[in-house]
Amino acid sequence: MKTDSTSNGRGRLSSEMLRGLVDEKTGTLDPRIYHDREIYELELERIFTRSWLYLCHESQLKKAGDFFSTYMAEDPVLVVRQKDGSVRAFLNQCRHRGMRICRADCGNARAFTCSYHGWGYDIAGNLASVPHEQDGYRNEIDKSKWGPLPVPRIETYNGLVFGNWDKDAPNFRDYLGDMLWYTDGYFDRTAGGTEVIGGMHRWVLQCNWKFAAEQFCSDMYHADFSHLSALIARLPEGVDPSMGQMPTIGSQFSSRNGHGTGFFTDVNTLDEFNGPVAAAWYQGPHRAEAIRRLGEPRASQISAAHMTVFPTFSFLPGIQTLRVWHPRGPGEIEVWAWALADRDAPAEVKEAVRLGVLRTFSAGGIFEQDDGENWLEIQKVLRGHMARRQKLNVAMGLGHQQTNHPRFPGKINNVYAEEAARGFYRQWAQMISGEI
Amino acid sequence: MGAQPAAEPDRAAMSAKRVTPELQQEIEQFLYHESRVLDERRYEQWYELLADDLHYFMPTRYNRMRRESDKEFSAPGEAALFDEDKQSIAQRIRRLNTGMAWAEDPPSRTRHMVSNVVIRSRGDGEYEADCYYLLYRSRLEREVEIFVGMRHDVLRRSANPAGFQIARRTIILDQTVLLARNLSFFF
Ligand code: FES
Ligand SMILES: [Fe+2]
Repeated sequence: MKTDSTSNGRGRLSSEMLRGLVDEKTGTLDPRIYHDREIYELELERIFTRSWLYLCHESQLKKAGDFFSTYMAEDPVLVVRQKDGSVRAFLNQCRHRGMRICRADCGNARAFTCSYHGWGYDIAGNLASVPHEQDGYRNEIDKSKWGPLPVPRIETYNGLVFGNWDKDAPNFRDYLGDMLWYTDGYFDRTAGGTEVIGGMHRWVLQCNWKFAAEQFCSDMYHADFSHLSALIARLPEGVDPSMGQMPTIGSQFSSRNGHGTGFFTDVNTLDEFNGPVAAAWYQGPHRAEAIRRLGEPRASQISAAHMTVFPTFSFLPGIQTLRVWHPRGPGEIEVWAWALADRDAPAEVKEAVRLGVLRTFSAGGIFEQDDGENWLEIQKVLRGHMARRQKLNVAMGLGHQQTNHPRFPGKINNVYAEEAARGFYRQWAQMISGEI
Repeated sequence: MGAQPAAEPDRAAMSAKRVTPELQQEIEQFLYHESRVLDERRYEQWYELLADDLHYFMPTRYNRMRRESDKEFSAPGEAALFDEDKQSIAQRIRRLNTGMAWAEDPPSRTRHMVSNVVIRSRGDGEYEADCYYLLYRSRLEREVEIFVGMRHDVLRRSANPAGFQIARRTIILDQTVLLARNLSFFF
């Protein structure tokens, strides 16, 4: 769906102006992309209605009628397991006067009833009953026309359920494109597949969504400074703090479609991030199966990775935190995060992953805390007019990319680079300016 | 998903083990002391108030329809905001002391208020102490967060100067989506 260009060619936000906010050739960014309300509204229209957005993990919807209330950007969406085993999703908005159909976060339902006037919907999102249909509507309402808006495209990729409002969008694997080789390496490691551990973390950060998404896409650079306190704190008592250093050898990949990932390739202590019990599993039976399925280098030579699927789906393989950054205006996000585990892992391994994730990457996690602090302060500084006129630097490793890496396909740079950030913002600029 | 952890026992059972005003006051004074220690960022001293078998737990919480309200809280084994033992608390304190824990450097200003203290004896010098809390946090120039909920503690008589150690703490927060940038402090 080529979007209707409400302000293209006229006004302040011409296509040319929007495209110029990002210059991936020189590695500069215009900070207004994080602050401007009109740009944000265009993001909702031109990026979030056309991109594949993460909805939930299949394991959250075990039986027919299980539902999960989520969002596609700011739009509330109900995701529901159907009787035939399929998953459907529809806008959580009653078509009568627009009331939220379901106000529970999750649960099991045989039907959904709007609490305003009582319109009733089945779990597939069809309008099934209307109070006073006879004496009020005189039997003149065509119920088949007044169901909530379905999400026209739903695809499941290794247990991860994604939705797209654009019925003409490429399928999800094509959308991943050159990123697929990497995501297969992260999500398709064992035949048993994955599940999310019950419950989730949700919290609010007063910052633009792109700070978070870009960091998980491209930013290994911040880790050994922002997170140094956590790296040191996790060392056993008495060990020299210099042991808290990050490994140094690794690569970063930038996708043609704006996705990105980075990782280390030397053996490193981060492999034991979730403790010895999890490490024994992930370096033992899990790795043996991954070697059979994927071979090297994906089975064991990629570690401590970060990744984002454009725009808002991020994962830290190995650490196992999975999240979506829901935008809430130009200056706010909700983080919705889960811990991902192998479905057939022993219970004690799942428990180790659960504890590892909540103690490191959740609102109270000793790593996560410091990320938010950075993003929030950037956002506040951008209230300043002069601050918004300073171009920001996203030039690390510019010109040093290669496409003929012996082990890693696609556009590759050093693990400490901003190649994937440039790709992320290029995709953003192309979509928001209507170029693609 | 589970029901509210540590729900109030019935009143008959409570009155059978009614605590004396002296004990009530002693435990309240302990809770006030602990609040003061936390608010003055004396983390090593706070750590001394924790029993070696500590379980420090804060479940996540969900909007559920009433018919499913037994699943309002995350169950054991599910996502929690805190699920700590004494070692992991030590790790958190170690981090705060590195001088590079940016989320708390410069530090937040906190004020732990406790009220509605209800005490039950468990025998063997152990007491259940429920309280309502209001935790005010001010950070940097003008950020304010307010946390309100209930704490369910198990306190144990101790030879330490404060008189008790905290063996269990379950923290109920009256929010679903956490309206805070992080939880870089202790409840
Ligand atoms: S708004 Fe839903 S029934 Fe009227
Ligand atoms: Fe980080």
